[in-house]
Order: sequence, then structure tokens, then C-alpha cells
Amino acid sequence: MRLFLIVTLNGLTLAALYFLAASGFSLIFGLMRTVNMAHGALLLLGGYVGYDVVELTGSWMLGIACGGLAAALAGAAVQAGILGWMQGDELRQTLASIAISIVLADLMLWYWGGITYQVSLPDILSGGQKLPLLGVGYANIRLALMAFAVVVGVMLWFLIQRTRFGAVIRAGVDDQDMLRALGFPIGRIFIAVFALGSALAGMAGVIAASALSISPGTDLQFLLSSLVVVIVGGMGSIGGAALGALLVGLAEQYGLAYAPTYGVVFTFGIMVLILAVRPQGLMGRSEQ
Amino acid sequence: MKAGFLALPLIALPFVLNDFWLTQIATRALILGITALSLSFLATYLGVVSFAQITLAGIAGYTIAYFGPNTVGVGIKLPFWVSIPAALLFSVTAGALIGYIARRSRGIYAIMITLAIGVAFFYFTRQNYAVFNGWTGFSGITAPVVAGTSLRDPSTLYFLSLATAAIAVVLVSLFARAPLGLAIQAVRDAPSRVMALGIPVTTPVVAAFAFSGLIAGGGGILNVWYQERISSFSVGLGPIIDVLIIAVIGGLRHPLGAFLGAIVFVLLDTFAVDLIDRDRFNTLIGMVLLIIVMVAPNGLQQLAADAVAKLRAKEHQSGKSARIKTNT
Amino acid sequence: MSGASTSVVEMATDSVLDITNLDLHYGSSHVLHQVNLSVSHKPLSILGRNGMGKTSLCQAIMGLHRHSAGNIRFCGREIGAMPPEQRAQAGLAYVPQGRRVFRSLTVDEHLQIVERSGAAWNRERVYDTFPRLAERRRNLGDRLSGGEQQMLAISRALLLNPRLILLDEPTEGLAPTIVDDVVTLITNIVEEGIAVVLVEQNMHAALQAVDEVAIMVGGQVVDVLPSEQLASDSELQNHYLGLDLVNN
Repeated sequence: MRLFLIVTLNGLTLAALYFLAASGFSLIFGLMRTVNMAHGALLLLGGYVGYDVVELTGSWMLGIACGGLAAALAGAAVQAGILGWMQGDELRQTLASIAISIVLADLMLWYWGGITYQVSLPDILSGGQKLPLLGVGYANIRLALMAFAVVVGVMLWFLIQRTRFGAVIRAGVDDQDMLRALGFPIGRIFIAVFALGSALAGMAGVIAASALSISPGTDLQFLLSSLVVVIVGGMGSIGGAALGALLVGLAEQYGLAYAPTYGVVFTFGIMVLILAVRPQGLMGRSEQ
Repeated sequence: MKAGFLALPLIALPFVLNDFWLTQIATRALILGITALSLSFLATYLGVVSFAQITLAGIAGYTIAYFGPNTVGVGIKLPFWVSIPAALLFSVTAGALIGYIARRSRGIYAIMITLAIGVAFFYFTRQNYAVFNGWTGFSGITAPVVAGTSLRDPSTLYFLSLATAAIAVVLVSLFARAPLGLAIQAVRDAPSRVMALGIPVTTPVVAAFAFSGLIAGGGGILNVWYQERISSFSVGLGPIIDVLIIAVIGGLRHPLGAFLGAIVFVLLDTFAVDLIDRDRFNTLIGMVLLIIVMVAPNGLQQLAADAVAKLRAKEHQSGKSARIKTNT
Repeated sequence: MSGASTSVVEMATDSVLDITNLDLHYGSSHVLHQVNLSVSHKPLSILGRNGMGKTSLCQAIMGLHRHSAGNIRFCGREIGAMPPEQRAQAGLAYVPQGRRVFRSLTVDEHLQIVERSGAAWNRERVYDTFPRLAERRRNLGDRLSGGEQQMLAISRALLLNPRLILLDEPTEGLAPTIVDDVVTLITNIVEEGIAVVLVEQNMHAALQAVDEVAIMVGGQVVDVLPSEQLASDSELQNHYLGLDLVNN
């Protein structure tokens, strides 16, 4: 029972991280139909920058903010400078973003080296907590991570469902041409949404570097988890990203605990099953 | 005629090149080209970019390693005339299975699903010791010896790769003209219309992936003989992206582009050290990929074809104007 | 007829939209051939049978499909090179075929994203004009009836406070009473001094709403004539729009 509880908590922690990473990926795809293969690289960039800022200033919150900002700027530059010019040609965008991801990863390896980084935590987040009712101890940072994911999820929901900017994004998802014909500069909206999605990735990177650690390869790990999460949950849906992240995170941890050799097979099995039953993902809209 | 012009210098290569150029450049490019051909075949005729071709090649390679002589003590030794067909059978079956999983997916969805499958296979080989020997994999694999000559012998392996490449190209063009191949192209152009005609989409898609498994399997077998080892790294994201880059550089609109891309890739890989810091090869190849995608999305093959067409048009034009001149 | 009521004198001769020698291709097929059309403040209808290039012309005017040759001048400015959003900002509003309301936006959100403060048309005025939309303000776009969607699509365009409204088959698929409402609405828009281009297949509805008619056949504007002339000449109607053309 104790093991089960701990494994469940670990699964939820992982799910929270996967959600933070995948929500930005899904947001970008939902509006622009762009599969941003550089999403993982932007996440790692955010993580590195966040680490440097925390080391320099000692402020964890500032590290999160700067990590998100760095990724947002890089993401906006990628969309404005490269991907925006191929809007509508999805395959070409995918290939270009793979190229960008290769270059970014290599340049980061060059600058930050091949070592593993872990962000030092502020006092309130280090140490652990004996959880009431459940009776198990758990690390503060992981609890904070779950809370952070919930807050980000709620804020994203609010932004998209309850604000004017969110309504414009939804309109763009529904019918881009019509939105343009109403006078909305779609190019600038794309850049803004790309920056927002990248900021989510960058913050996820700093949090991953705090709760776990980051090193070259973290980019691919999160790119792939984002892919699986959105395939399972449904592309372009924030709720789908949350559901997909929960399923994948829990499956991975249960797999690791109860069938250590084949943890990955669980994840894969879920994906194949969902593809067979609902190719558009659990909460995705079917493609016309 | 045209094939003869191409074949003669290719056959003459081993007599001209030294072992380094023959093995490190020519043979390697051919082997990579065969695997990339399986990708550009799917891209050209089915309109699907698959990231699982290295997985298919790896399945064939692992079969050869498991059933062949190796130095890690895993597997059962079988004669090569059993292990080679078995390897191809497995890669074809795996291809069919992947095709079945991705049967309803097009475009970016197909990319994501095949990528996820490829990476899942990579993790699987790392975790499984009984068959794949974990992340260390197999080493000390030796190519079979036929009539006293090892197939790993530089010129023998070159000719073997050249013959495999030629057979693969011929098979691709035969397949494209066969009824099933035409059905595949119909699926590419208008999947909904094909379904409306009552033709099931599943069969052509599965067949195309299975066929690509055959070609990738051929490349995988040659590669394991060439490398003399195989491990999880051989089926990881690195090689997956390499083969994609080769196919894109060559051009996804024509299957032969794969070999053009492979030569460029191998030359860059080998001589990048002279251009830039060896450690920054990824930046170089990433930039090359980006530039190709931005300025020549249909790859070098298309660029070359356009250049030839332009030259011909110019000749035609000047021929015409010359004729007009004589008329006046 | 409404023609009499549109005596917005000072602007009557100004041309709002000038299309000259417009060509448009879809891939290799040539859809519009040297289209010439001039729109003033007199409401104009573009009539033609299906497949004659009417919707393509709308998309070319709006910039949603880039023309291959020719000029589009709007209020004295060349807009042919502008992206659709700039054309909309310049005062062109588009009510597309099939309405194209956003399915995941509520009625109120449709209006909210387009509304500009201090403009002649705002949300309150829309709700006053269309009480039906006020009742349905919390409903999503794809939960509305065809007539409601049409009201919403027109309101959305009006909130841009445009100088010209381009309506592509606004009566398509609507019940006859609703068609009459749309015609009345268009007449009201005209009275406000907004130029109207009404693309229609429903000749009778169009002739009630406009003064001038342009006929499109085979991707070309073949004739421009006063509505009264077309209304009274059944032979002409047959010639341009009638079924006998099918047999040609």
C-alpha cells in the first residue's frame, strides 16, 4: 500500500511535468497545425537559463520567470524568422523544426557542456512533508510541482476560455482565414502563441531542473513525452494534454515499479490502444 | 543506356578507389542510401514520412546478430541462409505491423506515431537483455564467408551493397507500377475518395509499409555486417534523424534522391572535421538541413532535375532561335 | 424599390471598389479571366450560375486567394498586395458563403473580438437590432440556426464599421421569411452609406436589394445593368442565368 501510494505520487509528479511540457506543444499545434519538434530544445534552454539565473541571484522564482522568458524569446524568433514563412506546409515546418532542434541542442551542449544540472531549491521547497491522511512523506518540491501544474492548467483554461485573447485563439483554431478577414493579423497572433507555448516549455525546464535534473538528452525525453501525451490526449486540447499526461505519467511509474523491465511498453501499449480506438486522441477533434 | 552510363563507373569504383574511400564513403553511402530509400519510397508513393525505418533496419540487423556469430554469448547460431531470410521476414512483418498501427494517420500524425514507435523500440532494446542484450547490444558480428571470401571484404561488401541498392531501386519502380502500387498512390492523393470507392485503405498502406520493411531490412543486414556490431544506439534517435536528413537532402519526391542525400551526408560526416570543429558536426548538419528545407524543399534531386530541365529548355530555345534565324 | 431610397447624394459617383483586368488561378485552372468591375455607393449584386467564379472573385477581393494579375483599388488605394487582415482594416468586410461563424465561440465572443470602442456599430446596437442574437448570446456558433448564423455573420461584419460589405450568398439555405429579413437588413445597411456587394444565386432576393447587377459567366463579368432592366426582361434572365445555358 505504501509503495502504491508513493508510486502514485511519483506518477502524478511526472504527469505534472509532462503536462507543463505538453500543454505548450499542444497549444501551438492546436492553433497553427505546427508540430514544433524544437519544443524539447526550448524546454532545455529554459532549464539552463533558469539554472544560471538561480545561481546568480539566488531567487528561484526569478529563475522560473527568466527560464520561461528565454524560451519565449527563442520560440518567437523561431516562428517569426523561420517557421512563419512556411505556414500551411506542415511537413516542411516539421522538418525545419527538427533542424532547429538539432542546431539548438548542439549549441547548448557547446555552451553548457555535457554535465547534469540541478537547480538549488529555496528553503521552503527543500525537505519533505508528512502527508496527512495518506501517512507517507513526500518531497516539498514535488508537491509544489503538482500545485504549479494545476495552477498553470487553470490559468491556461481561464486565458483560453474567458479572455478576449483566448477567444481570438479559439477563432483562429476554428477558421484562420475568417479571422484574417475580420482584420486580425494572424502572423503576429501566431508569434504570440508560439512565445506563450515556448514560455510554458521554458518554465517546465526550470521546474524539471529543480524537481529532477537536466542534461543533454532532457530535450528529447520531453519532446517524446509531449508527443505521446498529445497523441493520447488529443492534439490541440489543453484538457487532452492534462488527461494524456496523467495516463502516461502514471503508466510509466506503475510500469517502473511493478514491471521494471517493460515500463516503456506500458506507455506504448496505451498509445497503440488509443490510436486503434480513437485516432484523434481521447479529447481531440476528428480531422475533416 | 542511361542505366549503363550510371552502372559502369559504379562497377569500376573498387578498382579506382582506395579502401578508405571505398568502404568509408562509397559502401557506407550505399547502405545508408538503401535505408533512406525505404523512407523516400513511403514519402514519394504513400505521402507518409516514416521515422520508423531505422527500427525496421534494426530489427533485421538484430536478427542477424542474434542468429549469427557474435562475441556476447547471446542468441542461437544459425547458418546465414536461414538467418538472412528470417531477418527480412521479421522486418517485413514489423513493417506491416507499423503500417497497420499508422493506417489511418497522414501527414504530421504519421510522423508523430512512427517517431513514437521508433523511440519505443529504442527504449525496449535498452531494457531487454534476453533478445537484445540491453544497451550494450551485440559486438563481434562477422559477415558470412562464401566460397572462401568474407562478405565483409571491402570490394565484396561494396558490390553486395551496390547490387542490393540496384535491386531495391528496381523493386521500387516495379512496385510503383503494380496494381497495389497504384492503389497506394491513390491513397496518397485522395484517401477519402479511395474509401468512397469501397477499396479498403488498410491493405495498400500495410503493403507499402511491409515493402519498405523489406528494403530497410536489406539495408539493416548490410549495416550490421559493415559495422560488425549493433546496439540500442544503432536504433536510437541519432540514426533515425540521420536517415531522415539523408532522405530530405536528397529529396522526398523521388526515391533515387536517397542515394544522392547519402553521398552528401557521408562526405559531410567524414570531412566536416576539416571544415569546422568535429564536435560541432550536428550544428553543421542541422544548418544544412534547415537550408535545404528553406530554399529547396524538394531536395537536391529536384534541384538537379530543375537544372537539367533548364539547360534542356535553353538548348531547345537556342536551337529554335537558330532555326528561326536560318529561316529569315 | 430600394433604389429610390439610396439617394446618399454626395458619394453617389465616387467609386469605392475598382477591379481591373483581374486574373485568378487555382493551380493550373484559370478561374477568373480579366474581370473588370466598378462598385460605387449604389448597391450592386453579382449574379451568375454556380461555378461561374463568384466566390473566387470574393476571395480575391478579400485577399484570401491571391490573384495572378490585375488590380484591386479600394477607396483610391491599391490593395492587391495586402494580406486579408489589412484589407479588413482598410474598411472591407466579408460575410462569406456558408457563414463561417466560429464554432467554439459564443455569440457574444464573436462580437466582442471584433468590437471597437467608440464606433457607430457596437455590441449594444447589434443586440438592439437583432434581439434574437441577444437571447442567444451565450450559445456557441455551431449551436445556432442558419438564420441566426447569418445574422451573426452580418453583425460581425458590421462591427468592423466597414466602408464596403461583401456578402457571398447570404440567403443560401434560408427559409423564405428569413430571406426577406436579410433583404430588409441589406437595404438598411445601404441606407447607412455602407457600400454593398451582394453575390447571389437567388436573383429575386438580389433584385429586391440592389440597384445594379453584374453578370458573371465563365469567370468573366459579361454585363453590368440596372436591376430594373434585368427584372423586367425575362429573356435576358434566361440568357444569363437560365437553365438553357446548361445545354450550351
